[in-house]
Amino acid sequence: MEYIIEVEDLNVYFDELHILKNINIKIPKNAVTSLIGPSGCGKSTFIRTLNRMNDLISTFRRDGTVLLDGENIYNPKVDVVNLRKRVGMVFQKPNPFPKSIFDNVAYGLRVHGINDKDVLAQKVEEALKSAALWEEVENILEKSAMGLSGGQQQRLCIARTIAVEPDVILMDEPCSALDPISTTKIEDLIHKLKKDYTIIIVTHNMQQATRVSKYTAFFLHGEIVESGKTDQIFLEPTDNRTEDYITGRFG
Amino acid sequence: MSRWTEEYFIEKGLLLTAISSIIIIGLIIIFIFKEGIPAIQSYGFFNFVFGMNWSPSEGQYGVFPMIIGSLGITLLSLLMAVPLGLLCAIFLAEVAPARMRKVLNPTLQTLAGIPSVVYGFFGLILLVPFMRAQFGGTGFSMFTASVILTVMILPIIVSVSEDALRSIPHEYKEASLALGATHWQTIKNVIFPAAIPGVITSVILGMGRAVGETLAIIMVAGNVVQIPGSIFDPVRALTSNIAIEMGYATGIHYNALFATGIVLIFMIIVLLIIANYLHYKKKVTIGGGYL
Amino acid sequence: MKLKYGLGVLIILIIIIALYGTINTESQYERIDIAGSTSVQPVAEALAQEYMKTYPKVKINVQGGGSGLGIRSVSQDIIAIGTSSKNLKTNEKGSLQEYVIGKEGIVIAVNVNNPGDDLSKEQLKDVFSGKIKNWNELGGPNAPIDVVVREDGSGTRKAFEDMVMGKNTKVRSDAIVQTSTESVKLTVKQDPNAIGYISLVHMSSDVKVVKLNGISPSLETIVDGSYKLQRPFMFLTNGEPKGAVKEFIDWCLSPEGQKIVVKEKVVPVTT
Repeated sequence: MEYIIEVEDLNVYFDELHILKNINIKIPKNAVTSLIGPSGCGKSTFIRTLNRMNDLISTFRRDGTVLLDGENIYNPKVDVVNLRKRVGMVFQKPNPFPKSIFDNVAYGLRVHGINDKDVLAQKVEEALKSAALWEEVENILEKSAMGLSGGQQQRLCIARTIAVEPDVILMDEPCSALDPISTTKIEDLIHKLKKDYTIIIVTHNMQQATRVSKYTAFFLHGEIVESGKTDQIFLEPTDNRTEDYITGRFG
Repeated sequence: MSRWTEEYFIEKGLLLTAISSIIIIGLIIIFIFKEGIPAIQSYGFFNFVFGMNWSPSEGQYGVFPMIIGSLGITLLSLLMAVPLGLLCAIFLAEVAPARMRKVLNPTLQTLAGIPSVVYGFFGLILLVPFMRAQFGGTGFSMFTASVILTVMILPIIVSVSEDALRSIPHEYKEASLALGATHWQTIKNVIFPAAIPGVITSVILGMGRAVGETLAIIMVAGNVVQIPGSIFDPVRALTSNIAIEMGYATGIHYNALFATGIVLIFMIIVLLIIANYLHYKKKVTIGGGYL
Repeated sequence: MKLKYGLGVLIILIIIIALYGTINTESQYERIDIAGSTSVQPVAEALAQEYMKTYPKVKINVQGGGSGLGIRSVSQDIIAIGTSSKNLKTNEKGSLQEYVIGKEGIVIAVNVNNPGDDLSKEQLKDVFSGKIKNWNELGGPNAPIDVVVREDGSGTRKAFEDMVMGKNTKVRSDAIVQTSTESVKLTVKQDPNAIGYISLVHMSSDVKVVKLNGISPSLETIVDGSYKLQRPFMFLTNGEPKGAVKEFIDWCLSPEGQKIVVKEKVVPVTT
């Protein structure tokens, strides 16, 4: 099996707070891996370490390695901008820019130098189709993205992310702010996307994890307690804590 | 006192304060019109507004050169202060480390607090000779006045724009960076455009101060009633005219000065309408609207 | 909650009483407000200071604003004494009483680096009217003449125009306007090509004196009339002055007051 991301002995600190402890995990390519665990145990911090979004926080420190396709992303010579093009992110609360729908999806492309109108139009259409949003917006591309519903906005954010053709898509609880129908639509979308993209999804919803992901990692207090195939984690957890969490005794 | 009665009194009290400020402004405007209209009536509206000669001792009351003077000084100073102020605001909001901000912000606030007579004096002693050495002429000019005004309105533009930039939700910045944009691209394409309504507000405030500034301009603009041939020619602003001559004007001269005040009020209203229209347009297009 | 309200009210009351106390003590003083000519201002201030040393119960306030302001303010009873550095026009006289407390000269000043130092009245008129525009027409370097004048209501301006320009010639319209005799001096001090008129009282070594037809302005040349640009320094009151105002004006015209006048380089009236 091919692993696209390999994390070795990762420790993350914010000033004195030790948030992630000795994380070791390999993320398989072109599959969906979900990260489960109770609130505040470091899942979001972990994925933000994968695209170096934690660099924005001045108190962030880390040691250990994070390899993307064999290269350490924290090597000082690494172009962070390019890294973030390859590792995209969808946030918990849909955050489309206060621009038109078209400009939202085209944003990443323009930022990376693509300005040809036809190329942009074509790529925007492709991305919106991949995100299962095209039919709903093809006639209102010039309208502000703020006028869309929550579910539509989140799909727009996904379209925006895949427009730049990343290798990995990080999703931080993408459905927690949405209603069940929008959630279903997005889960269908994830199924569609996993053929071409590696997806890492943080979720509180264990049913969602079983529905969409092939692999799962269980985080507790900043550590990975157990990780492996989703079926195995949920049906035959090897660690007591995992079993307690899954059966709902806490979290 | 029951809670309902207390609410009632507080509400009505606040209403009273708000209304009284409107009433005071209304009274001032009525007074200015009352004193100024006789001059316009007897001298003629077009003669007054478009007349080229201001010479009270000869009964001439044309204010057009001074309208040009005021407009010129204001617009020229906005032209310099807005780009400079915006760049400074972007620097403070997005780039400067916290330590630098701690020093720069109080400095700017102090600049805003310096009384205009000090600026005027500084202009007279330092700027005017400098202008004369660099650009010839007497050193008293529309440009000199604009430079002083730029320094005076810069703090307003910087601090209000900075607030607008800082109020842009963090999520936009994160979304942009997560897509692989650089910090500067994020500022240029996301943060700044979203902050434009707030920036326009800062420009309106700066413009208000610029149009009304009197003393500093009197000391450095030259106070010559003429339409300037270039920005390095001396001019007289409407405000300066009122301040210089109000002390001793009598009769129709006195009324004419109030009529100058009327022209000033209209000029401000027109400028504000234009600025607020831009504010409205930008707000609707963006659809988010902050500040 | 109630305690805070009460405390707040108490503090406000204390402040009000304190203010009232200080303001009340003020009314034990006699107050005289003087405003007007910026040329007369230093003399008036010197007189006021000396007077208040001997008569501490009188508080005298001296301000500038120009002769025009002084004339109008005293006519409207806004101030007790208006000062003027020019003669009153007939339509300005109204019910005003005039007291000449001294005579003074208008000095023509140029920059210290200006090579010239003597002009005839004709030349002066031509310079200020714009007929002569360049210093080289007067034997100086090739540079434009920057003329500096006072604002419309200035007594110095009026006196200058009456005596030099005459009824029919106007000062050039592009002359730089400054609003006090001190700022005219400052302008001339900084601009090598400038020329302007200031009062003799304000004269200092910052700028250079221009002789008029070979005569230098000084106390002597004003007294003997050889320096032509002279004008009266006047105190004006609306109607007959009474009480403290009358006493002050009488003192200014007395030998003690006139001594101060001389000290300020102004020609006394009662020699």
